[in-house]
Amino acid sequence: MTEIVIFGLVWIALSLAADLGLSQIKSHTMYFIISRQGHLAEDAFNFLAAFLIPVAIFVALFLVYTLIRFRASNGDAVRSRQQTVQNKLFVTVWVALSFALNILFWLHPTAADLETMFRRDFLANNRHDLVVDVTARQWEWIFSLPQYHITQAVNRQGLDALTLPVGRRVEFVLRSYDPFHSYDVQAAVIHSFWVPAFGIKEDVVPGETRYEFVTPTRTASYATNPMVRVQCAEVCGPGHAWMEAPLSVVSGPAFDAWVKREQKRQQG
Amino acid sequence: MEQPVGVEPSAVWPPRRMMPPILRGAFWAFIGFVLGDLATIAVDPFQGHPLVTEISALFGWAMAVIGWVLGVGAWEGVVLPLAGFSEPWAEPTDMRRYFQFSVDHKVIGIQYLVSSTATFFIAGGLAMAIRYELMQPYLHFFRYPDQYLTAVGIHGTLMMFSVATVALLGGLGNYFVPLMIGAKGTVFPRLSGIGHWLVPAGVATIILSPLLGYWTTGWRGYEPLASQDPGGIVFYYLGVFALTLSSLFVSLNLTVTIIFNRARGLTWARLPLFAWGMIAVSILNLIWLPEIQMTFVMGLLDRLVPMNLFNGVGNPLSYLSMFWLFGHPEVYIIVLPAFALWNEIIPVMAQKSLFARSGAIIGILFVMILSGLVWAHHMFTNMRYSEMFPFSFFTEMISIPTGFAFMAAIGTLWRARFRVSTPGLLILMSMFNFLIGGITGVFLADPPINLQVHDTFFVVAHFHYTIIGGMVFSWVAAMYYWLPKLSGRLYSEFWGKALAIVIFIGFNGAFSQMFLLGLHGMNRWVPAYPAYLQPMNYEVSLFAFLLGLGFLGHLIHISWAWRSGPRSPENPWHGRTLEWLTASPPPPHNFDGEVLVRRGFYLYDSDQPAGVVLPESTPDPAR
Ligand code: HEM
Ligand SMILES: [Cu+2]
Ligand SMILES: [Cu+2]
Repeated sequence: MTEIVIFGLVWIALSLAADLGLSQIKSHTMYFIISRQGHLAEDAFNFLAAFLIPVAIFVALFLVYTLIRFRASNGDAVRSRQQTVQNKLFVTVWVALSFALNILFWLHPTAADLETMFRRDFLANNRHDLVVDVTARQWEWIFSLPQYHITQAVNRQGLDALTLPVGRRVEFVLRSYDPFHSYDVQAAVIHSFWVPAFGIKEDVVPGETRYEFVTPTRTASYATNPMVRVQCAEVCGPGHAWMEAPLSVVSGPAFDAWVKREQKRQQG
Repeated sequence: MEQPVGVEPSAVWPPRRMMPPILRGAFWAFIGFVLGDLATIAVDPFQGHPLVTEISALFGWAMAVIGWVLGVGAWEGVVLPLAGFSEPWAEPTDMRRYFQFSVDHKVIGIQYLVSSTATFFIAGGLAMAIRYELMQPYLHFFRYPDQYLTAVGIHGTLMMFSVATVALLGGLGNYFVPLMIGAKGTVFPRLSGIGHWLVPAGVATIILSPLLGYWTTGWRGYEPLASQDPGGIVFYYLGVFALTLSSLFVSLNLTVTIIFNRARGLTWARLPLFAWGMIAVSILNLIWLPEIQMTFVMGLLDRLVPMNLFNGVGNPLSYLSMFWLFGHPEVYIIVLPAFALWNEIIPVMAQKSLFARSGAIIGILFVMILSGLVWAHHMFTNMRYSEMFPFSFFTEMISIPTGFAFMAAIGTLWRARFRVSTPGLLILMSMFNFLIGGITGVFLADPPINLQVHDTFFVVAHFHYTIIGGMVFSWVAAMYYWLPKLSGRLYSEFWGKALAIVIFIGFNGAFSQMFLLGLHGMNRWVPAYPAYLQPMNYEVSLFAFLLGLGFLGHLIHISWAWRSGPRSPENPWHGRTLEWLTASPPPPHNFDGEVLVRRGFYLYDSDQPAGVVLPESTPDPAR
């Protein structure tokens, strides 16, 4: 009995301390997140962590506890005094708790978040989005903004780069093919469209068109935080590592100015 | 390791003066390759008349593997007997029998252990090269990015198909399952015998794959990238085919052996935990290895014909699903034996009855069943939200039976007097590592989180925690635990524990930081990355080198102890399973008599032994 009390108290104390620590850093657990979808992921991460940390501490503490309290004083084989092979209470609590936790996790965050994502991405809710056509080729991201007649957004060096206005929903239209291939534009592989700071990732698969919706929540850029970039996350051949493009999230007026510049650049 | 065997010296094979079997195998492999290759080139010449094309390499390879397997001894051991020649065939009794085809499950087990250990260090050397490259954010060690990606692919493929899948099943399984069930041998010894020699064939195929061109897909061979990759990918398919065939043979043999060759009194209710683990893994192998083999055959045909099965004209996602249908069960093929080992070794070290034994077994069986229902959690970035529901549900649920392994171990350790020997310590470490792997798996099972960390170093850390942390640590623990049985000798507790602590620090130092790298935006399969990730990568590499040294230390220590450690007592741990009822190392037919099991092996409530060896009533019908 004393053993249980000691163990229990240490466990509770450590778990509380760890969860307190988690609550201190919870806006940084995914480092730098600037989109609604990303915050959903980060909240889910923190929610799960708050429960899973005590679980992990329970087992880890038990292993340490074994090394301290339950170790044999020497290497001789002496039968343990205690030989319990069954303890209904312990097994029932263990099984019940693991079911309860898993069902909880599935309802929240999993099912709840999927409902939220489903609702947000529902077409009827997405009337005035900024459409960005994203073409993945080996090895380049090509961004075009058909609403603004921008066929390929590039920065001053002529490299693909994208700028988005803060607070406005963006609809990414994702395709994988190679418009610059000399004879076979369909020679394409799977890429994965990832913006670390947005917390979104979607594979871009040859032969399919996919949509991804995202609302940036604050201004930032690749220069201020390198997580603000478009990065290919699925291996796509030797150039995979370099298949990235800088991204900026700017204010509305700054976005308009950027659009003007891009349009001008396009006209030559 | 020499044992007397009741055969006349004159009947010892090889009877005549001939090449050592391995050389003979290599010779016939070479002849086979040349014949198969040239014959294909003759019927199907290619523009420019190269001597080797992808198609001719395929036929050459098939002939080479056949030549190799026959050359190392399957000709005398399998083909001649099948054809009705009653050639007096007996294996040599000295070291030579480890270097040729064998039908002795103990010899086969050691062959598998040696092959997968060697492969572990080859693939581990590649890991060191990968980590060295990643110390800088740009290409500085590898010359080309596809060279780096090939190194990653060979590392992963070898580790998965010829170490993680093979060491515990082909190695420890072949050696110990018959001993632990009181059998004198396996049911299909020739199958396992051939099985082993497919491992060097497969490993060599994969190591030599760059000869046909660097391939870039990593161990999953994703389409359509694979079908437009350089030719090396052909050898990836073929090498994996040989390796999976090897595990398939062993699985068939061990399943049948466990079903039919158990000693008297060894009911299913008394079957040792390790045997439960082995039969569960074997069933998973029997179901899923043919599936991945057919997938790779389709991949190969898609490339060689070509058939457009898996590109934009066909459907790339079919390949992904077919790969992970096997791929997820594969991860449990790797880890179930580790769960079994925990609960095999803990009661012995504690001299305490196994707690909730049926729970531990039910856990293994339910994991085995559920593992076929979760594959698409590797493809959340390819799914509609509605499709994510069932897959994240089953994925979260699988942690419940997984937890049963912990429940049994914790119940057993509670208020025990646990001997913290080297194997005992390594088992506790393995439990800790797997705990981290499993907990992070629950995060991955949640789609919004997964969409962020999928294909990043977070996943890399997760699966290394489960595989190195869970399986490899348990493997090392089992090597120390069974070393007295394998060799009759003891190791040094000081060095065993010191090295265990070294790999624990190296492992956790390296892989825990990879979780952070992943969360911070580091994606996989990159020889170059944004510079802000460099400091942490540098540190990870340092810990990784420490880990590599630690494993090397274990290898040296175990090899030393195996050959010249101090003599071990008969049953140093006071284990109660049947392998401890016989000499160390065991005689050719395992037991000098008939084994009778009287009670469960994990009951320490009295001093009564679980099994006894009775004097033989009827002479053993020679197999
Ligand atoms: C509690 C149990 C587990 C859960 C909930 C779990 C969950 C997951 C999930 C959701 C992924 C997909 C991550 C992604 O790519 O986005 C994953 C990947 C992976 N897991 Fe687990 N896992 C568990 C146990 C294991 C075990 C036991 C092993 C191996 C022994 C393992 C090995 C792997 C491997 C190899 C991958 C990634 C493969 C790749 O992309 O190359 N996992 N796991
Ligand atoms: Cu890529
Ligand atoms: Cu999986």
